[in-house]
Amino acid sequence: MRTYFAEVLARERACLAGITDRAMLTSWRRRVVEELMTPQSPYALALRQTGDVRDRADFLDQWRELLAEAVDRLLQSRVTGDTPCASPEGPKADVDAQKTAVLILAALHGGSTLSQLAQDPRPLNAALDLALVSFVAAEDNTPARTGTSSSISNMDL
Amino acid sequence: MTTVDSRNGRRLTARGEKTRAKIVAAAADLMYVQGIGATTLDDVLMASGVSKSQLYHHFAGKDELVRAVIDHVGERIIERERDALGHVSTIPGLRRWRDALVQNNALRHGAYGCALGSLASEVSDQDDAARQAVSQLFIEWQGLLAGVLRRLQDGGALPPEASIDQLATGLMGAVQGGYMLAQTARDVTPMATSIDMALAHIESLSPD
Repeated sequence: MRTYFAEVLARERACLAGITDRAMLTSWRRRVVEELMTPQSPYALALRQTGDVRDRADFLDQWRELLAEAVDRLLQSRVTGDTPCASPEGPKADVDAQKTAVLILAALHGGSTLSQLAQDPRPLNAALDLALVSFVAAEDNTPARTGTSSSISNMDL
Repeated sequence: MTTVDSRNGRRLTARGEKTRAKIVAAAADLMYVQGIGATTLDDVLMASGVSKSQLYHHFAGKDELVRAVIDHVGERIIERERDALGHVSTIPGLRRWRDALVQNNALRHGAYGCALGSLASEVSDQDDAARQAVSQLFIEWQGLLAGVLRRLQDGGALPPEASIDQLATGLMGAVQGGYMLAQTARDVTPMATSIDMALAHIESLSPD
């Protein structure tokens, strides 16, 4: 169990550390959805409610921290307005990076459980759409549910 | 009230029905606390106090018992959620629903999670009939959430173009993920945060 945790964290650390704009966030998301929808992938195995609860809690804390750092970078770049991440509606100053990271992690966890149950990636994508709405919503000025995310929802996995 | 035995389709006597209910309730408790995989029929016999022949009279084996547990848990949760959500038509109403979920889960520091959610993670790669049964229950629960969101939309709190089913599905993901994070952390805070954030995002779609 610990090896899945280590593998997921290593890959997430590498991928999330490079996220500075929405396009990168979108490709991160696409990759994680694919991983979670692959039975027996390290991601799918790491999110099972089995094994030592302290190891799992430690794993989730570390993943949440990586997500919070990435969210924080996205918010910073939006505030300075010098990247494509700047929203035409202006920065949402009320977005809290730590709390957003909790919701993203919950969306990955709950969404993948519901998707595996339904054998359909849509629940996971819907959960991520909602979790990432403050970042994706500004894209093409369309709401998250009809923006980039829907092409992912329709992606044949 | 008489129930029809799932195994042979015949009607149960009041006494038979009571025995069956006792077995299912004991099995549901055990599976909730220790998981389906770790629950044996011997555990169920001990916890329910019924005899082996009584148990096999009602259930051919564990798979059949698991399906009865799914029906039992599902009925309880859907009834609870119908009571809680059936008349909600405002964001404050949704927040009260969230408060009750979190409060109930806090009783045991979130240690066991959502009764239906924990069944979901266990049946996904096992018995296909069980998987479909749990999946159907989630569709029903999501339908109740969609009902609330539709009433919000009718009242103007959500824009007409908002995709209600998509939002209800996303909210359910946040709720279930919240239960799971709480279960691992032995603390309901991440569950409260997750649902709060999801509701805040839904509220932010409001046209004004």
